[in-house]
Amino acid sequence: MGRAVAVVGVGQTRHGRRMDVSYPELVREGVMAVFEDTGLTPDDIDGVVSGTMPSMMEGVALTHFYFADAIQAVGKPVLKTETCGSTGMSIAHTAYYWIASGMADVILAVGHEKMNEGDSQATMTTVAEPFYQRPFISGAPGVFSMQSAIWKDRFGLSDEKVREAAAYISKTHHDSAFDNPYAHIKIRTTIEQIVNARIITYPVRLLDVCPNSDGVCAVIFASEEKARKMGRKVAWVKGIGYRGDEYFFGDSDKAEWVSAIEAAKQAYAQAGIKNPRKELDVAEVYNPFTFQEMMLYECFGFAAPGEAPDLVLKGTFARQGELPCDPSGGVLCTNPIGASGLIRVAEAALQVTGKGGAHQVPGARLALAHAMGGVAQFNGVMILGSEL
Amino acid sequence: MAGRVAIVEVAQISGGDSKDNYYDQAYLVTKEVLAKAGVTKDEVGAVVSSASDIFHGGISCASAYYNEAVVAFLKNSSRQDGESLFALVYGVMRILSGHYDTVLVAGLCKGSENPPNDTCTGMFGDPFYLRPIGMNETVAASYQMRLYMERYGITEEQCAKVAVKNLHNALRNPYAHRKGRYTVDDILNSGRIIDPLTTLQIAPKSEGFVAMLLASEEKAAKLTGKPVWFKGYGSSLDTFHFGDRDLLQGQLKNAAAKAYRMAGLTDPRREIDLAEISEPYAFQELMWYEDLGFCGEGEGGNLIDSGVTRTDGELPVNPSGGVLANNPYVSRGLQRAVEAFLQIRGEAGERQVAKKVKTALVHGTHGFAGQCHAVAILGSQE
Repeated sequence: MGRAVAVVGVGQTRHGRRMDVSYPELVREGVMAVFEDTGLTPDDIDGVVSGTMPSMMEGVALTHFYFADAIQAVGKPVLKTETCGSTGMSIAHTAYYWIASGMADVILAVGHEKMNEGDSQATMTTVAEPFYQRPFISGAPGVFSMQSAIWKDRFGLSDEKVREAAAYISKTHHDSAFDNPYAHIKIRTTIEQIVNARIITYPVRLLDVCPNSDGVCAVIFASEEKARKMGRKVAWVKGIGYRGDEYFFGDSDKAEWVSAIEAAKQAYAQAGIKNPRKELDVAEVYNPFTFQEMMLYECFGFAAPGEAPDLVLKGTFARQGELPCDPSGGVLCTNPIGASGLIRVAEAALQVTGKGGAHQVPGARLALAHAMGGVAQFNGVMILGSEL
Repeated sequence: MAGRVAIVEVAQISGGDSKDNYYDQAYLVTKEVLAKAGVTKDEVGAVVSSASDIFHGGISCASAYYNEAVVAFLKNSSRQDGESLFALVYGVMRILSGHYDTVLVAGLCKGSENPPNDTCTGMFGDPFYLRPIGMNETVAASYQMRLYMERYGITEEQCAKVAVKNLHNALRNPYAHRKGRYTVDDILNSGRIIDPLTTLQIAPKSEGFVAMLLASEEKAAKLTGKPVWFKGYGSSLDTFHFGDRDLLQGQLKNAAAKAYRMAGLTDPRREIDLAEISEPYAFQELMWYEDLGFCGEGEGGNLIDSGVTRTDGELPVNPSGGVLANNPYVSRGLQRAVEAFLQIRGEAGERQVAKKVKTALVHGTHGFAGQCHAVAILGSQE
């Protein structure tokens, strides 16, 4: 279907609390990184896709105006793709379709966020409408903790086991972040510290939850012809899937999260993947919360429903396991939201092109990247492979 | 580019203030377009909507809110911000990619639940230089208008004529929010907002829910006997800082050139039968005439004087009344496409132009003094 599309290069800023630069400077840093990686120049770019979280996050609306220069889009067509937390993934999808349609050959995708400019949880509270949901859904932890509780209850999982598995995930991701030069939170922690950390929203504790990060990710996508001409290892887009649930939290099943299940199914069908745990070599699952990450493993077919905690504790998803998940440290350690989904794509591309550095999964050839957003609504998936 | 994309059906809800809530309006317009096309919601392949959080009644992540109302529940969907023509072209891309044979495109903006437009457009400014001086789209437009008049000798009367024409055209458009029979004097004496702009030369704040069903060539043949084809698109973004820009040499020429190339148009003035363009400020219609190649540089005033762009003229522009008559900020671009579709199909009711419309131009703009422009060409001919 359509023309083949490849990720030909990626760029990231050093993520974290970046008070050393203004927001456009940060964007420029990320965009320049992908030009440095690819050797391309802004003249090679046919169009630019950018996106971010709602304007309330940093207090500037329709940021393609303000960042026109930083994203190198002056005189070029732009698309501004925004789907809440899944924005980064939706940006990647937009770039893919733009090229697959034949309307462009080389597209720059840029996701950005500078969360330390504002109040992220206040912003996310405004995603809920003012009458029914806003009074009790306060920010992201409220929604996603409820979802974790629903999942745990549905499958009769014990608090102790789920807590233990979540702590294992937190420990391994925080350790992995030390191998990722761009990661934000780099702390050595212990299981004991994790399970005793301060409660954010039960059962989520401080070390189960992502930080507020400033960061930018830029990815260049190209048509097959352009990609092959570059004479470098590229990551081919093998499948993409996206689904959205209803807006009201009570209207959809959040334990067997249909939008996540269906988004993955759509991508797997395109990529010809039948047994994801066996066929995928690495996955970058969008994981702002440890508990929810386990639930997503099940939605993506990495584990049977209710089985994820057992497999986590067996090390199935650890760096040396059968299907390493988030070797970059994931969203848990770095979350500039508008960029986070695109960072998953960039990390998956690094893995299948053997450029993962200290967090490379040896021999990775097929990778899954994921992002989610809305009031626990949206899920987007992209499968990247080393071969077309 | 392989294959072609058709617009199968359109629907719109607009005006100043509706008793219906956002959900109902989003749902009703979607339901209407699907009913007209004879397609169930399950048959819709993908949904691409457009809305902006800053123009969304204080609820962030717009598409999360209206997801199921535009039948995007458990579908592959996405949203474009700022300009609804972005959603049109993204919908086209999805079909041309071969992944989908139908895409629902929607533009959603409920002006009545938003603060004044310029409270919102002021948020486009950076926090350091433009925000403190109170820059917004109307302030930016006032600079641009003054410069335009000074450089080319365009008169305030010529600018006002655009409002006279468009608000008069709107009398025949049941979807228009603001309409009336005004004289040039009425327009000029309607109260200065920001010199030299007066009230009736500035677009209102309106509601606009627009839905459109796109289909691949093969699918369109099954759904309609009167497809309107997507023929070309171009868009271009200008640099941000005011001092870095020549406000009279913007990006519309560039956007139009791309659209004309894609559509294979070499003499747009003759080949285009009708244009629906976005003129949030009356004088901008004259500027856009020039940038679109409808007349030479500095000749926009002469063109309006000549009557060529009247409904009964050689090249009717904004027979719907344009954005001066109805301005749902985000969806105004897609609303132009809906109007062009209706004119091409001969279904524009009382506002149908006398001449046969085979090829129409659609334009959207947003940002200070037209920082971003998008142009699409639609046509009845293959």
